[in-house]
Amino acid sequence: MIQHKAFLFDATRCIDCRACMVACSVENNIAMNKTRIWVAGEGLMGKYPDLQRATMVYHCMHCNHPDCLSACPVGAYTKRLDGPVEYNGDKCIGCRYCMNACPFGVPHFDYDKGIIEGAFIDKCTFCPQRVDNGMEPACVATCPTDALVYGEREDLIKEAHARIAAHPGRYVDHVYGEGENGGTSYLILSHVPFNQLGLPNMPETPVNEVSEKVMEMTIPFALTWGAVLTGVTVGAALYEKNREKKEKASAQEEKEENK
Amino acid sequence: MKANLTIHPRARLNIPPLVWILLALMGIAFVVAMARYISGIGAISDLSYSYPWGFWISFDLFTGVAISSGAFIMAGTVYILRIKKYQPLLRPSVLTAFIGYTMVAVALLVDLGHPERIWYMLIYHNPTSVLLEIGICVMSYLTVLAIEFSPVAFEGIKWEKTAHYIHKFIIPFVILGVVLSTLHQSSLGSLLLIQPTKLNLLWWTPFLPVNFFVSAISIGLAMIILESSLSSRYFKRGLETDLLDSLAKAIPIILVIYLILKFGELAWTGNLGLLFTSSWMSGLFWAEILIGVLFPMIWFSFKRNRQSPNALLFGAIVLLLGMILNRFNVSWFAVKHPDPLYYLPAFMSNVNYIPTLPEISVSIGIFAAGILAFGLAVKYLPVFNHEE
Repeated sequence: MIQHKAFLFDATRCIDCRACMVACSVENNIAMNKTRIWVAGEGLMGKYPDLQRATMVYHCMHCNHPDCLSACPVGAYTKRLDGPVEYNGDKCIGCRYCMNACPFGVPHFDYDKGIIEGAFIDKCTFCPQRVDNGMEPACVATCPTDALVYGEREDLIKEAHARIAAHPGRYVDHVYGEGENGGTSYLILSHVPFNQLGLPNMPETPVNEVSEKVMEMTIPFALTWGAVLTGVTVGAALYEKNREKKEKASAQEEKEENK
Repeated sequence: MKANLTIHPRARLNIPPLVWILLALMGIAFVVAMARYISGIGAISDLSYSYPWGFWISFDLFTGVAISSGAFIMAGTVYILRIKKYQPLLRPSVLTAFIGYTMVAVALLVDLGHPERIWYMLIYHNPTSVLLEIGICVMSYLTVLAIEFSPVAFEGIKWEKTAHYIHKFIIPFVILGVVLSTLHQSSLGSLLLIQPTKLNLLWWTPFLPVNFFVSAISIGLAMIILESSLSSRYFKRGLETDLLDSLAKAIPIILVIYLILKFGELAWTGNLGLLFTSSWMSGLFWAEILIGVLFPMIWFSFKRNRQSPNALLFGAIVLLLGMILNRFNVSWFAVKHPDPLYYLPAFMSNVNYIPTLPEISVSIGIFAAGILAFGLAVKYLPVFNHEE
């Protein structure tokens, strides 16, 4: 079986140090006014003395059935068999349909660049330059509390359930990303409800399901519809000819009768 | 000898003030578009990471394509169903569509991040992408419309033989045009199918493409009424009231089908309850139903309204406003993107989207160019009142 890598993020371990953001920007040479990763949170929650904090490392979910990939008209996105969803700027036409399609709001666009510099989409790449050389992605490698870990998706799901089983009171009994949007390669454990981490409530079917089904019907529909219209055209023309003939015949009969 | 000092008055172009206004609007749009090409989309618009599509898509793409649907309806009626009495309405509707789709293409060249790569859709295909289907259909249909309209242009320059020759082979192109139109008019609805978690469930149903196709027919009929009425007023020519009467008769039938579809789908998805919430969304939904469907449905049911030029024009405008509101709702107002403050730092976020003046001026300039092109074509080519 082909190895399918994933991240596991444990919100109970995150200390909001943001070292992952720095590591990502350094590794991928991201400009100061942009970022591919963001640590989100609602700040302090609850009332003293029951105060709580929760932070979430937000970057590309690397879905198993990516909606950006499904939406892109020119196929600028690819899903690598080992997990990463990759973007190829050489094909991109800048339509931003991927941004519309992504239910997590991940892809970014260079709104500040004209056509000479070239405006592209940017998002987390899963650090293929590191992963392919046997290293962990930069954000994982730098995480001081192992809130982010990297590994085989199957193993990480098992690990996540094991953590929930070991501390049933600590976690919400759900691994976000195991089924969400058809499964993602970014799994999340949390001690607060997932929407407090900014994660949308997602069905287990990928959001592109209906649109892909409709697209499958397109060509058969077009051919059938074309055939029907051709039939109608021929039928209408024959009907018209027939009627003209009859009219001519009756006109001639009248003429003969008049004679 | 006395020199001849008489000054001959130069032939002066008599340009009406309306044309000056249109040219000025086009000029503004051109300057703004240049600024966008030099310094990026963000320099002139409020589009952001959380609102990648805004006014341009809602107005230029969704509205532009919808109001150009008259051509395939008329071409189908005249050439496929062979109801020849509608012949006088065919040419103006094909002209509207040709100009309309050209406007869509020009607007997309401003909106796309890489306008110079628009032809990549012809060489790189992703078969699951609705946008690819729309792109290819619109490109092909623009070609078909050019072929359908070319006899008029050839007649205009007195190449009757060429016009006659093209006319002989028109029917396959008409069929192709109807198929392409059916596909992309409905696919504009399919474009939103990928947003079940973002688009409000009053609008998101798996039957969005059907809704779009049915409403596009009513929009096309209303547009034919609108353009015939306006051009008859501006160019002081007669109005084909009898034909418009029988066209308008079809509108209530189509709107009833549309109404049944809309509410039937909501019942089917179990979201009828959303109709009666106090949120903006219920209000917008009812507004588009009342203005775009119920009112015109009743209005055009009365023979008196269908035979008065003023009442025809009024009904068509109301229908168009309501249906355009529908397109704006589906592509913009009812779309809720995830809260960017969670996944973006504050300096990259924009929680609300409000189109900027330069952004709107681009669309207005392109629209002005369309009106000017329509006027010029009607003035110099045999679009209305031609012999068949």
